[in-house]
Amino acid sequence: MHWLELLVELTLMPLVAFAIGLLMVLMMRRIAARLQRRIGPPFLQPLYDIVKLFSKRTQTSHGLLHEFGIVMAVGGYVAAETLLPVPGMNGIAEKGGMITLLYLTMIPSLGLALGVGQCANPNGSIGISRALTAMLAYDIPFVVVIAGVAMHFGTTNLVDVVAQQQAGGIEAWGVTQMPLLALAGLFALQGMLGKQPFEIYVAPAEIATGPMVEMGGKFLGGLFVMQCFQLYTASVLYVTLFLGGGENWITFLAKSFAVLLIPMSLAFLFPRYRTEDMLTMLWKWPMLLGLLGLVFVGS
Amino acid sequence: MPDSDQFPVKIEQPAQGGNIFSRVFDELTAFCRSRSLFILHYCTGCGAIELPPAMTSRFDMERLGISPMVSPRQADILLITGYVSVKTLKRVMLTYEQMGSPKYVIGICSCTVNGGMYWQSYATAKKLNDYMPVDLYIAGCMPRPEAVIAGLRQLMDKIAAGKANGWQDYYERYDHYLGNQQRLFGETWQTPTDVIAEARHYGLFGPETLGEHTKLLQQHQKPLEALEMRLGLGAPEKVKP
Repeated sequence: MHWLELLVELTLMPLVAFAIGLLMVLMMRRIAARLQRRIGPPFLQPLYDIVKLFSKRTQTSHGLLHEFGIVMAVGGYVAAETLLPVPGMNGIAEKGGMITLLYLTMIPSLGLALGVGQCANPNGSIGISRALTAMLAYDIPFVVVIAGVAMHFGTTNLVDVVAQQQAGGIEAWGVTQMPLLALAGLFALQGMLGKQPFEIYVAPAEIATGPMVEMGGKFLGGLFVMQCFQLYTASVLYVTLFLGGGENWITFLAKSFAVLLIPMSLAFLFPRYRTEDMLTMLWKWPMLLGLLGLVFVGS
Repeated sequence: MPDSDQFPVKIEQPAQGGNIFSRVFDELTAFCRSRSLFILHYCTGCGAIELPPAMTSRFDMERLGISPMVSPRQADILLITGYVSVKTLKRVMLTYEQMGSPKYVIGICSCTVNGGMYWQSYATAKKLNDYMPVDLYIAGCMPRPEAVIAGLRQLMDKIAAGKANGWQDYYERYDHYLGNQQRLFGETWQTPTDVIAEARHYGLFGPETLGEHTKLLQQHQKPLEALEMRLGLGAPEKVKP
């Protein structure tokens, strides 16, 4: 591939991801509103929020790591977008693969932990310790799911995974070949997005939004940007592994938004679990489903 | 409203002439600021009871881009619902000074305007805008959610027009506000925020920023020190009221 073409793709992929992520945030807030019989925010609301936060006059920084943590949180996802194949653009997906991507999706949580640690706010420390425990809870079933998918397709290359699924049609999709793993993946997705019932680390009324408590201005704006990327990454990864990726942009977007519809519709109907209950639940049911799925894949 | 008629208040002017991009950019930020407002509620008074209906399904503030937030760092609006006693006013001041500029204060209910039914109380702060610049009062005992939302829309219009500049007034006339605070809380009153340094930082240092009251503050001011980290349960330290 020509280097200029690669450069254009590496620039475009995060930008497209951000634009789609904004729409996903809007969808999340609209769904919440509809379920609570409200009208919900206007179309450009996620953008207004981000522009406003970056244009605040006061930017209270607690030190170098506070700023670096936010850069890490956004940067981890920006790097992850270049490894996720989208229709027409593969970026460096062929050189990366699932395992690199799995590592990159952990970086934002670690960056956030660095930044929050510097803020020295007890609510923030409690929040981030819960967030990292939650990461441990959903990542272990997710690793099982990734291993199962890699075994089934015989590769960790996401471009190959998409190509195999698209060649075989719906019968070759991950979701029809490995329904148990797809279900376990959906469980892990709910934890990964940090949506109810797995959002104890935010808990606004109890620990004042946990990790976000000391974030104002551009720092909170950075986290809003991160949320856009987070929604995009989680849903596109699921579409790539189980729903045959995207043949073109229309089916790709339809699938990504449909995947997000499930955790979001569930989210606003539930209260939240305590951290230890979340750990018990995620290490029991999705793990069981995932391991059972592995047996079917292996045999 | 701050007493802007009696005192000259510098208003943040959008860039005039010259670079058209900076003018467009200023208008864009003013518009986004007006369409995205995070509210921090200070709900000690009875007006708080009118806010849940204003937020939930019947009146739905989120369709105007207004959503509740829980920490002063994240918030744009400090919403004070009802009376503030001398003790709670201290906490309100601490909260207000921690918020990021541009910030707006809304006083809801008659009690914030003139003390309301607590006019004769010895422990209630009567006029909120003696102690901090209030951008908007919503009078009533209590104002209905329609009135609250009408008030918020007025504030949105003011912000979009670049006229909601109460936060600048606090820096420019800090001596006036500090004097009123010292009258209530005593001469040794100090907050962790260095307002005078912030006024210099924002270029809002006016002739009335310093005065006799800030001189008094500087005599008593103790430098901020990090809290000592201690494990175990010792005897609790005595906290000055």
